[in-house]
Amino acid sequence: MSDCDQHFPHGSLRQVTRRHFLEGCGMGLGALWMAANGFGATASDSIVRDPAHPMTVLPQQIPAQAKSIIYLHMAGAPSQLELFQHKPELVKLNGKDCPQEFLDGKRFAFIRGVPQLLGPVFPFHQEAKTGMWISDRMPLFEKLMDKVCFIHTMQTDQFNHAPAQLLVNTGNQNLGYASFGSWVTYGLGTVNQNMPGYVVLLSGGKNPDGGKALWGSGFLPSVYQGVQCRSEGDPVLFLSNPPGIDANTRDDVVKTIAEINRNDYAQAGDPETLTRISQFELAFRMQSNASDAFDMSRESPETHMLYGTQPGRESFNNNCLLARRLVERGVRFVQLFDWGWDSHGTSADGSLDLGFKTKCAYMDRAVYALLTDLEQRGLLKETLVVWGAEFGRTPMRENRGGVEMRFIGRDHHPTAFTVWMAGAGVKPGFSYGQTDPIGFNPTTPPVLIRDFQATVLRLMGLDHKKLFYPYQGLEQRLTSVKPARVIQEVIA
Amino acid sequence: MSHASKGQSKHTSHLRKMGRRSIAVSGCVFLISLSLFKSKQDPVQAQVTPVAKVEFARDIRPIFNKNCVACHGGIKQASGLSFILREKILQPADSGEIPVVPGDPDHSELIRKITSKDAGDRMPPPERGPALSEHEIALLRQWIKEGAKWEEHWAYVSPRAQPLPEVSNASWCLQPLDRFVLARLDKEQLKPSAPAERTQWLRRVSFDLTGLPPTTGDTKAFLDDQRPDSFERVVDRLLDSSAFGERWASIWLDLSRYADTMGFERDATRTVWPYRDWLIRAFNSDMSYDQFIIRQLAGDLLPDATIDDRVATVFHRNTQTNAEGGTDDEEFRVAAVVDRVNTTWEAMQGVTFRCAQCHSHPYDPIQHTDFYRFLGIFNSTRDWDLKSETPVLRVPLNRSDDQHAQELDRQIASAERDEAEQVRRVALTVEKDWQPLHPAHAASTKSTKLEIHKTGDLTDVVTSGTVSHGSRFTIDIPVPPSVGRVTAIRVEGLPKDIAAARLTPELGFVISQLRMSVIPPNVMPATQPEPEVVEANSSTAPSTQLSEAELQQQAAEAERRTAAQEAAIVLPGTELRFSHVFGDEMEPFQDPEGSLNRDAAGWGALPRIDRPRHAEFVLDEPVDLPAGGTLRLVMTFNNAAGDDMPQVMNRGRFSISSSQQWTDLIHEQSFTDRRSQIAAVRQQRQSITAVAVPVMKEQDPGQARVTAMFVRGNWLDKGDVVLPGVPKMFGQLPSDAPSDRLALAKWMASPDDPLTARVAVNRLWEQLFGTGLVETLEDFGSSGLPPSHPELLDYLALRFRNELGWSTKKMLREFVLSATYRQDAMVRPDLLQKDPRNRLLARGPRTRLTAEMVRDQALAVSGLLSGKMFGPPVMPQQPDGIWRSVYNQSRWQTSQGEDRYRRGVYTFWKRTAGYPAAAMFDAPSREVCTARRISTNTPLQALVTMNDPVYMECAQALVNRLNVESPNDPAAQIARAWQLATGKIPDDADAKLLLSLYERSLDKYAKDSTASGKLADSPQHAAMVVVANAILNLDVVMTK
Repeated sequence: MSDCDQHFPHGSLRQVTRRHFLEGCGMGLGALWMAANGFGATASDSIVRDPAHPMTVLPQQIPAQAKSIIYLHMAGAPSQLELFQHKPELVKLNGKDCPQEFLDGKRFAFIRGVPQLLGPVFPFHQEAKTGMWISDRMPLFEKLMDKVCFIHTMQTDQFNHAPAQLLVNTGNQNLGYASFGSWVTYGLGTVNQNMPGYVVLLSGGKNPDGGKALWGSGFLPSVYQGVQCRSEGDPVLFLSNPPGIDANTRDDVVKTIAEINRNDYAQAGDPETLTRISQFELAFRMQSNASDAFDMSRESPETHMLYGTQPGRESFNNNCLLARRLVERGVRFVQLFDWGWDSHGTSADGSLDLGFKTKCAYMDRAVYALLTDLEQRGLLKETLVVWGAEFGRTPMRENRGGVEMRFIGRDHHPTAFTVWMAGAGVKPGFSYGQTDPIGFNPTTPPVLIRDFQATVLRLMGLDHKKLFYPYQGLEQRLTSVKPARVIQEVIA
Repeated sequence: MSHASKGQSKHTSHLRKMGRRSIAVSGCVFLISLSLFKSKQDPVQAQVTPVAKVEFARDIRPIFNKNCVACHGGIKQASGLSFILREKILQPADSGEIPVVPGDPDHSELIRKITSKDAGDRMPPPERGPALSEHEIALLRQWIKEGAKWEEHWAYVSPRAQPLPEVSNASWCLQPLDRFVLARLDKEQLKPSAPAERTQWLRRVSFDLTGLPPTTGDTKAFLDDQRPDSFERVVDRLLDSSAFGERWASIWLDLSRYADTMGFERDATRTVWPYRDWLIRAFNSDMSYDQFIIRQLAGDLLPDATIDDRVATVFHRNTQTNAEGGTDDEEFRVAAVVDRVNTTWEAMQGVTFRCAQCHSHPYDPIQHTDFYRFLGIFNSTRDWDLKSETPVLRVPLNRSDDQHAQELDRQIASAERDEAEQVRRVALTVEKDWQPLHPAHAASTKSTKLEIHKTGDLTDVVTSGTVSHGSRFTIDIPVPPSVGRVTAIRVEGLPKDIAAARLTPELGFVISQLRMSVIPPNVMPATQPEPEVVEANSSTAPSTQLSEAELQQQAAEAERRTAAQEAAIVLPGTELRFSHVFGDEMEPFQDPEGSLNRDAAGWGALPRIDRPRHAEFVLDEPVDLPAGGTLRLVMTFNNAAGDDMPQVMNRGRFSISSSQQWTDLIHEQSFTDRRSQIAAVRQQRQSITAVAVPVMKEQDPGQARVTAMFVRGNWLDKGDVVLPGVPKMFGQLPSDAPSDRLALAKWMASPDDPLTARVAVNRLWEQLFGTGLVETLEDFGSSGLPPSHPELLDYLALRFRNELGWSTKKMLREFVLSATYRQDAMVRPDLLQKDPRNRLLARGPRTRLTAEMVRDQALAVSGLLSGKMFGPPVMPQQPDGIWRSVYNQSRWQTSQGEDRYRRGVYTFWKRTAGYPAAAMFDAPSREVCTARRISTNTPLQALVTMNDPVYMECAQALVNRLNVESPNDPAAQIARAWQLATGKIPDDADAKLLLSLYERSLDKYAKDSTASGKLADSPQHAAMVVVANAILNLDVVMTK
């Protein structure tokens, strides 16, 4: 099913460009322009932006509790069958050939021919308060399951990392589309104008497979792209003054530049000059604000203990603590990518029996700490926390190249996997969607990537149908031209 | 409304089934506010609609596009009706009524529908949009009355010769183009601005033509030059400068998505810099634009293609290669071909063609089939998303070797053709001697299972179960009763489903090694596979900890071990000695004779098989076969080049020859002499130092792919087969030549293509004036913006193509010498009101420097810039930790010496982690074609130019330069620095501001020797570094 028709601007075929958007600076043109292009909605519904202040807070399109979002992406795709999906049948079928009916017409990344089913590598039990099942790999997180909402029937149509990560983060498996965070900051702006509105933090030693495009702005103005911040060196590239230049001197320089630029404006009258003056002033303020936000040394020993942080080292745990510091300061969208969850069984690190265990141990502690800390500070009710990946892992053991492998692993599985959410507006202690006894296919309607995106947008107070941008003759949306379903059941 | 007629395509009826989701469009709001916007803010859009005579493109198509095509367009053709093509509205719709009867509005269903008072009958339906206005209805009536004449969208009609318009002040005009600009200003009652100061024009033209600021010497020479042609002299000097090519190549690097890495997950390094150098040389030598596109699209297909011509085709090898494990090489080959189609259209034709991948274009008369016909032109190249990026061309590092290398390549190709011809002649004469072999037993190692399928006279060995990488087949074949000896064996590899594989190929195979022995009767050993070789490394998958080099080393080691163990296997009976393998392709990816040794390479269908394949394995000498004996055939499949896809023969068929002619052939003097000659020439070619560059290469005509449509854009779902060609609305490629890339390129360079010249001049214009005459450089179609000066665009397009012979330099020369370009950039208050975006060109352009210019200027002003040209990309300073690609241990190693200070065009371009300072100034990642960089202003840019160590180093170098040129005189130094950076003398006010910054800083550094020491060798110099840092950040410095 598709309904391209609703996305073609009925009113105009004129492609209005980002250049219009940006060059309308200072004259209120952008606002008029955007109103003029409220193709599929009434003018009051569409996003209206003053290009001189592109990050100004805009009202939510639909009332929602969430003010910020922390999106944890486990790059490589952790196994839902070793964490959240309890499949007793799979224990019994361990080592048996996978029934042909599951394999017909399927394409896998590495599995060849007829693979064997693989029972859960770790035991499951029922969590006491909610009765929901969980493996023994996340003992801390388990204590908070009554705050968490699981979706077990996530489905994607991509089974290689880079395209699948692009799909979940930009709504398209190809390059060139706007990322989740850029859509949200475009639609809502950000509270703290002295900080980037969309911050990306990486851990695991590698960039996620899809690279920078995962937080790019695609066709949206580049001001909405994610700012990759780092836990080693400057948190924002070139944030520190060069050696020998202190904040006072920098301030002096920025003021001198501004005065000379104002003279220039008086003579040449180029409105862009005014914009650049304000960008230099903002850069200067960002230098102190961002440095402060990323300075974890101000946290108490108890907090460090809770998160398991090791200041100065890049880690998922550090990033979780930074995420809390950032939402505390009004950053709209914080996204964490943790690389290293690709447990094929090809090496010790990349196996369920070894590497996965280590990853789970720190991830369990970090997410437990994050949810606990947000709750204690009263931030959880206004922060949406999302945990997920680009796909899941197969109920079958991987047999790469058609041979048995040294370590235990599973291949990429796009048809049914798990994500969870917690915090603002999410139905707590709830589990959505059922899969078949071996966890291969959903037995209830699957939650497609665009359904998931529409749901997250809704929790952020955005309507996926009204969050669009005209480009190449289409009303571009995060959820694409295809219809998306908001999963109302997971909303409190 | 009625249902879809049966005759409609599957596609259309599918769309019909989608049902009608509500389109909440408030056309009213849109219209009103857009027209507000138009009239008040963008005079270009504010042309008054004349009423005297109806013109379809101006008056009617906009009505259709606004009100009708969402339901009756390219995607959706409700009631069988589309307003995209004229024939569609002249024939009865599904209702049986004729929408438009030319000359007769009263009998035209269209008029009845739009004027119907019945809400259930009216078009557009009330829930979809408001009724048409009186004015619109009147226009439509008049149009039908006048015969319903159809005009193509302006961009699809050839440019028309334009008379020079009358203007109010002919003496203002310096170039013919100025008359078009002035005529438009006259119409708007605007006056052009005064000419810019000489220094302003000089800075503008220096950056525009060479990407570099004028030196103080350039400025002085120009200011002192009182000759009447002083402007022309500057322009000619700049056009002759070698920096010209470096500046203009950058734009084509964006268009051609040039990068030094492959992209996607692993993003490994690729060697394509010779293409970047080709671009620079092409611009510097002012290669005519028609040749420029012909060589990039089809340089390899030119008669006597040179190394340079073939390097030009890297243009379309800049597509990404997905080396992620477990990716399907056919899927990403197809993705690359689709990208070539889209890039060709976006870069050279200015049309968003990609819409048509899934359905007919929503607004433009480009049909769904057109996309695939066009794709067919590109669907016949050899590349197959292989990690090795095969096919590659060894491009000599020293250009003086080009001629020699070319000659050697020619000799090799010619000798190989001769050999192939000789083999073909023998093969034809002995064709009838082949006897089919009928395997009796077949078994394999690993989990691969083999079955023997008999059909009629033929016997196939077919795999089943889980086919494993590294399988070894052991096949026992009774010696056919009629065959007394053997001279050659023919091996055929076939797809399991021949018909389906033609459209979507199956996994291929490579015979790493083929061995055969003859077992006498009654000595039959047990039919079981030869013993399993225990592989040291049972997995071909990379461990996360290993670098690319270590992985290769590990793989080579495993291969050596496997080969050694394979060698230890002794076949029962007498082993046959094969000496030659003749494959079925002219230029195979791997040498077929590799199947005779123990490495992984050999003859096969790598990485996919799309048709039956065959090879002849010829014995050194004939061998007699005992009646009742058995042939044992052992084939090993160790090739992992197909990215973890086992390259195992899934269906094999074998035959035997006893013809003496095979033996005679390989011992014939002419044959052996030629073999030695080829080997010698190859060795000579190898001895030329060269880099392997991926290039375009056509498949053998006999191996050419068939192109089928993808149903709704899904490459696995194939529809009708199509023949290659250009979109129907543009006519046809010449019938006297193959419809290949060369035919396409020549067509694009011919007057038959209405877009090429327009798109090219528009791009040049945009680079100089900041906005194109058509603002949407990437979209000249009806969803793009209309040209601001349509007549000027046509005039320039024709002038460029005809009078100027496609000369980029001559065209640019006219632009920069025009009165339009020479105007002052000052934004007068009346212009800010009437034309804030300078679309009418009543003032000179002032734009922010590009990412490359920002860097090059800082280096030039500080005196650090290296003039070194060409060669491998360099790695200037960048912060640690930017490069972290998965499964790729490549490291950023900061270049030494002058390579640190090269122009930005030479900076190593990694797709997944761009050079940060460039990326922040809007340089794209170059994963796909970028027709236009959108300039932004962000605080992160300010952080780059204030704090990036590269820019601090420039500030320090600038101070060193000032200390030499004007020692101990802060005021003079500031004036000098200003002059270097802007080409002008500073105003007193500005100089005073900087001097007081200097004095305040000096105060601080005099008291803080530690801080001072970090910047320079004295507090005075440290304070001047602060000032230099400020100057390099000024708006007058960041703009041109």
